[in-house]
Amino acid sequence: MILLPCPWCGPRDAEEFGYVGEMHTRPDPLTTSTEEWRDYLYLRRNVAGWTTERWHHRMGCRRYLLVERDTTTNAVRPADPGAGKREP
Amino acid sequence: MTRETWPTPPRLDKSPAMFRRLSRQPGEVIDRGAPLTFTWNGRTFPAYSGDTIASALAACGVRVFSRSFKYHRPRGLLTASYLDPGCMVQVGDEPNVRGAHRLVEAGMDVRSQDTWPSLALDVKAANELARRALSTGFYYKTFMSPGWLWPAYERVLERFAHGGVLGGNPSYDGRGGRYDKRHAHPDVLVAGGGPAGMAAAVAAARAGSSVMLVEEEHELGGHLRWGGDTDLTALRELRELIDATPGIEVLTDSVVLGRYDDNWVSVVQRGLPDIDERLVKARVKTLVVASGLIERPYVFAGNDVPGVMLSTAVRRLVNLYAVKPGERAVVLTANAEGDAAATDLERVGVEVIRVVDARRGGDVVSVHGRSRILFVELGNGQKVECDMVVTATGWTAPVSLLTMAGDVPRYDPTAARFRSDLSRLPPEVLATGGVVGDGTLGELVAHADAVGREAARRAVDVARVRRAATPTSVKDAEQTEPAPAVQLPELAMDAHPELFRGRTHGIVDFSEDVSSKDLFAAVAEGYSSAELAKRYTTATMGPAQGKLETVNVVAIVAEATDRTIAETGTTTWRPPYAPVTLGALAGREREPVRRSPMQSWHERHGAVPLVAGAWIRPDHYGDPAAEASTVREGVGIIDVTPIGKLDLRGPDVAKLLNLVYVNKWSKLEVGRVRYGVMCGEDGVVIDDGVTARLGDEHYLMTTTSSGAAAIWAWLESWLQTDHPEWQVHVTPVTTSYASMNIAGPRSRELVRRVADDIDDINDIDVEPEAFPYMHVRTGRVAGVDGCVLMRIGFTGELSFELHVPAGYGLHAWQTLLDEGRDLGVRAFGVEAQRILRLEKGHLIVGQDTDGLTRAYSAGLEGLVNLDKTDSVGLPELRWQHELRDGPRLVGLQTTQESLVPAEGSQLVDDSGRICGRVTSSRLSPTRGRSVCLGQIDARLAEPGTLVKIRLVDGGTAPAVVTEHLAQVDPEGLRLRG
Amino acid sequence: MGTDMADARRFARRPGPARYSGLALLRHGVVDHPWAPAWRTRELKRTYEVVIVGGGIHGLATAYYLARNHGITDVAVLDKGYLGGGGSGRNTAILRSNYLTPEGVRFYDRSLDLYRGLAADLNFNVMFSRKGHLTLAHSDASLRTMRWRAEVNKVCGVDSDVIGPQDVKRLVPEMDVTDEARYPILGALYHPPGGIIRHDAVVWGYARAADSLGVHLHQDTEVTGIDVSAGKVRGVRTTRGDIATPLVVNATAGWATLVADMAGVRLPVQTFPLQAAVTEPVKPFLRTVVVSGTLHVYVSQTARGELVFGASVDPFASYSTRGSLEFTEGLASHVLALMPSLAKLRLLRQWSGLCDMTPDFAPIMGPTGVDGFLVDVGWGTYGFKAGPVAGETMAECVATGRTPQLISSFGLDRFAQGRLVGEKGAAAVGH
Repeated sequence: MILLPCPWCGPRDAEEFGYVGEMHTRPDPLTTSTEEWRDYLYLRRNVAGWTTERWHHRMGCRRYLLVERDTTTNAVRPADPGAGKREP
Repeated sequence: MTRETWPTPPRLDKSPAMFRRLSRQPGEVIDRGAPLTFTWNGRTFPAYSGDTIASALAACGVRVFSRSFKYHRPRGLLTASYLDPGCMVQVGDEPNVRGAHRLVEAGMDVRSQDTWPSLALDVKAANELARRALSTGFYYKTFMSPGWLWPAYERVLERFAHGGVLGGNPSYDGRGGRYDKRHAHPDVLVAGGGPAGMAAAVAAARAGSSVMLVEEEHELGGHLRWGGDTDLTALRELRELIDATPGIEVLTDSVVLGRYDDNWVSVVQRGLPDIDERLVKARVKTLVVASGLIERPYVFAGNDVPGVMLSTAVRRLVNLYAVKPGERAVVLTANAEGDAAATDLERVGVEVIRVVDARRGGDVVSVHGRSRILFVELGNGQKVECDMVVTATGWTAPVSLLTMAGDVPRYDPTAARFRSDLSRLPPEVLATGGVVGDGTLGELVAHADAVGREAARRAVDVARVRRAATPTSVKDAEQTEPAPAVQLPELAMDAHPELFRGRTHGIVDFSEDVSSKDLFAAVAEGYSSAELAKRYTTATMGPAQGKLETVNVVAIVAEATDRTIAETGTTTWRPPYAPVTLGALAGREREPVRRSPMQSWHERHGAVPLVAGAWIRPDHYGDPAAEASTVREGVGIIDVTPIGKLDLRGPDVAKLLNLVYVNKWSKLEVGRVRYGVMCGEDGVVIDDGVTARLGDEHYLMTTTSSGAAAIWAWLESWLQTDHPEWQVHVTPVTTSYASMNIAGPRSRELVRRVADDIDDINDIDVEPEAFPYMHVRTGRVAGVDGCVLMRIGFTGELSFELHVPAGYGLHAWQTLLDEGRDLGVRAFGVEAQRILRLEKGHLIVGQDTDGLTRAYSAGLEGLVNLDKTDSVGLPELRWQHELRDGPRLVGLQTTQESLVPAEGSQLVDDSGRICGRVTSSRLSPTRGRSVCLGQIDARLAEPGTLVKIRLVDGGTAPAVVTEHLAQVDPEGLRLRG
Repeated sequence: MGTDMADARRFARRPGPARYSGLALLRHGVVDHPWAPAWRTRELKRTYEVVIVGGGIHGLATAYYLARNHGITDVAVLDKGYLGGGGSGRNTAILRSNYLTPEGVRFYDRSLDLYRGLAADLNFNVMFSRKGHLTLAHSDASLRTMRWRAEVNKVCGVDSDVIGPQDVKRLVPEMDVTDEARYPILGALYHPPGGIIRHDAVVWGYARAADSLGVHLHQDTEVTGIDVSAGKVRGVRTTRGDIATPLVVNATAGWATLVADMAGVRLPVQTFPLQAAVTEPVKPFLRTVVVSGTLHVYVSQTARGELVFGASVDPFASYSTRGSLEFTEGLASHVLALMPSLAKLRLLRQWSGLCDMTPDFAPIMGPTGVDGFLVDVGWGTYGFKAGPVAGETMAECVATGRTPQLISSFGLDRFAQGRLVGEKGAAAVGH
């Protein structure tokens, strides 16, 4: 499978990872509307091209990491490590 | 024109002899000092070690090896290589063996496939007569009605399925069978062991790389092996060079199956002693594709008559196997290989009647004959009687691995073949040899040498780039860009006449029996793209995987649609490049199994195993109802080790618990235990369990057994992504503790005996005032330190859950049984526990809830706290609270007490509409009647409502919704004692 | 419906392409007369009443039923490649209606009903082989779900029942039903009406029939934009020219969100590759379709003798159909766990298609927030078996402007309303 650049373990086979999915922001649970919340639950951009997404190094360091991947070619590059935290 | 005759039946008085075997040939691979015998369709044939099945049979004069798919025409050798469509045979219980590649072994039982009653006289050849009606795709145009007859029609079609028979002997043994896998780590993998591949391997190894050289045939050398003296000398030198160069691992009778993303490469290795096939997997740094060239058949009428063969087939038979392929030959040649084949034939005494030079306009129009050639009609009108027609009309580059790497080959009309676009390849894939271009042996070797050196250089670079591409907190001094590539020499492609189809229609796909006429017809009917024509006619879908057919198909579709080949399309190659057995892909069984430390005890005491995911658990020990009764009346112990357990430490654990559980957790005191339910962000119940506070900053969370791994990842996700500022450490301890439940009215007495020792400072006071319900204590139990003891109750009885460090699990278990003998303690299994919990109305997540059940539909509304500032799924929980719609979890009692409805039975209302289902159902030994839980529409969820259960046999039975979910001790008095 | 028969008769008598039949085959064979093309190549008109994006089974069936059931023939079906080149040409062609929810069962059973009459209706042999369909249960939780499905099926009048391991063995003698298996078979859901079909033939049959009714089929015509103004569809732009139209149906798979984005409509869809593989042919021995949810694998054998395998979608979303080695390894391992005697069978070819996965394993059908832009998408791994009923109901939706009862639970608005379809239980491998 493709190689993923784990910042802690180096390039590892994607089989070691769990795929989480597109990065998306979580609305404030106290002020959100049904529309906004369900968009967060169900809508995805489903980009055909470069996308930022989360993976989980399940069989390695157990860290969640961000990766940029071109979904049409599966080319992979590391994401900006600072982009890991979801916006408040 | 001579009349067609039936093939001469084999003379039964004479046993087969190698009358077509030639004297020793300089490059032969057979060992005349090692004769052996095997059987072909029941008759014994002689062979030499090194013979293939086909060469051994050909040496004895066999010319017909099989019958074609649809029309059952007799077929002989075409390519005399792995791809030969005329020689697919059954060897013992192995179907579809490539007879022109498989080496003969002593005693082998070889049979022709799909011929009845015999190869010589095949009844289905009558299809030939119906050929005109059985045009391509005929089955789409008929058999439509009456529809009920289709199964009968289908049975008829099945009889014509073209393949061998799957034997009944499994050779795949999960406990160490005849297939296995290997992970290899070469720097450079060279696919193809001809002269180019060999030279590239040597160059790469000399430059310091570890090299794996993979060759499809039984020995290295490619086309040099059947060449003339210079070729054989070069072959010997290259082989010596390979042997003398350290760092090269050679795999023969092996094929590179595929190249996947990031140079993940798979190889099937055959011909190993004691192993049928081995799958080798490697993350190679550089891949060098040196797959050579495959000779292409020429399409003309009669091109499948036995005796028509390719020039490489002739050269292989003569030079490798010392077999005289015939007596009188006509050779159609358009290139040097064809010329050389004619020379080889003359050298060994075959009368070469005509050499028809296609470069000068010569052509073969048609061949007449059926099981052998009667005569061939040439382009100049002449009719020549002969028994061999040899064609050398062109080459196909097997670019499969390159297209898998991103190559999009384009057709070059001057060279009459598809040319790879090497610029589209990633830097870690290179190509050399015939697949790239042509040249003298010296030019090919020089190119390969340069490519090999470059492959080694890039291997170092690839490793560096991969390492540098992972971000670290330290600014990397290494660049992430690959070093600029070194310019490689060119390898030009020789001009070659375009020869795909002659002047008549012939077979294009030999395995599928598809002719050029079929392709024309498909195009005329609107299936006018290469893809549609292939699907409609099934051309290229046979065992040769398109290697012999694809280019001819594209050329003929181009011709039929009046377009150029370039316009008609390119070829898509998909893995596997060569067929590979399921056994090799599966390898040996590697499914892990988990057993608790007490499993050996369970097995010794007659436990019936229950497969629960990766765990094997004791379902019961012979009488689950009695086990359940023992718990209600005395005391029982159950092994619950698979329960998920997570050790949580840090100052912020309570915040995490508040976030992931629907209830509130900020005020759980040390020594207390609380039940919690987790929901997803959509408000659907995902897990439940208890969490105990063992210390100020130390908690132990339990989850369901099947949810253990998922909840661990869930907690980590929230901590790492949303709250990296919280200080919480999560450690999975599911397998660090052996867990057991001690349950029943006498459980306290038993626990006292193993935990409460007034003289021991580490003891645990188990008296009710000291150890109330929903509390936790840590200390020494059964002499083992570090135990955790909780008072919780899934079974509804007074019970204690004990977690013992796993290494002492069996000891603690045995201690309980010994200490409790006079109390009547017995082990109970999962089935008894299910009965007990059901009597108490405790839900099981995943059984009484499903993928859409929300907290309110699981009877958990009392648990949900909506006042929190954040909680997973909080908005959905709030909206559920407002709407109160959706099904409800209820208890059910059938009117007929002894009736135990099947779990999954549907509940129907008066109009017969489905309004719910039974989720849990057992006969309760405590109540002496059935007890059930179910999901039901909200409007019918009031206690006392009458519903109908639809039984498995189609009848219905009345049932009533109970007041409480628990049907034994609904007030929970026994639990809190 | 009585009108079905009248329509069929009317269709049969239409002037048009020669009818296929055994007699015609013989006639053509004797006279060596070429057959008329199955469909015609057309000029792209400037306007159409309806434009269907996607020339697979869904798009073609919708066009066919629009013409046949509603007399609407000014229809264009556009495909960026060749007809049926997407999911319709890559699936493993398994048909069944043994779903979990009553709505699902009714929907897929209507499709099965249409499939049963399809060869006669389209005058094209689609080769529906009713082999029977087995879904194996390897745990009691799984067996419980099978019972749930069986009971729902029975209430809806669909033939399904739970059978034990010995009955499984009788149906498939090669199956390992012993306790030695790593995941022993505890039973199975047996569904006799299920089976396999020649998927290309269904595409070609619908294409030929739609074409004969006057629908325009345009291959190699890629939609590059959808014109929407004031919340209404005005037309589409393609690589072969622009078309003015008030009604566009998105019947694509793999590209559903890309096309919907052109109209400004967002879909809760993620695209995942789904791989499949086929072996060399051997003499037919497997008479039933076999599915295992636990082992995530399904197996069937064609009349030609090849075994066709499939499993669940790839572990991560992607538009790449290059395939993986891991798929074949996992597949082989699980197939051999079920039927160890298949070890010597050779894999010949693997391929993959793209599946649009929705959050509830159910499609998205009907109107969207943009007037005139309808969707028939989100078909995940279960699109092919629903082709006929999807075509029939989408045609009704287009023609009448009303959403038919049969697809009322599949609306796009269900996600915003939190009313997901309950098929999550059955769709584990989902074939």
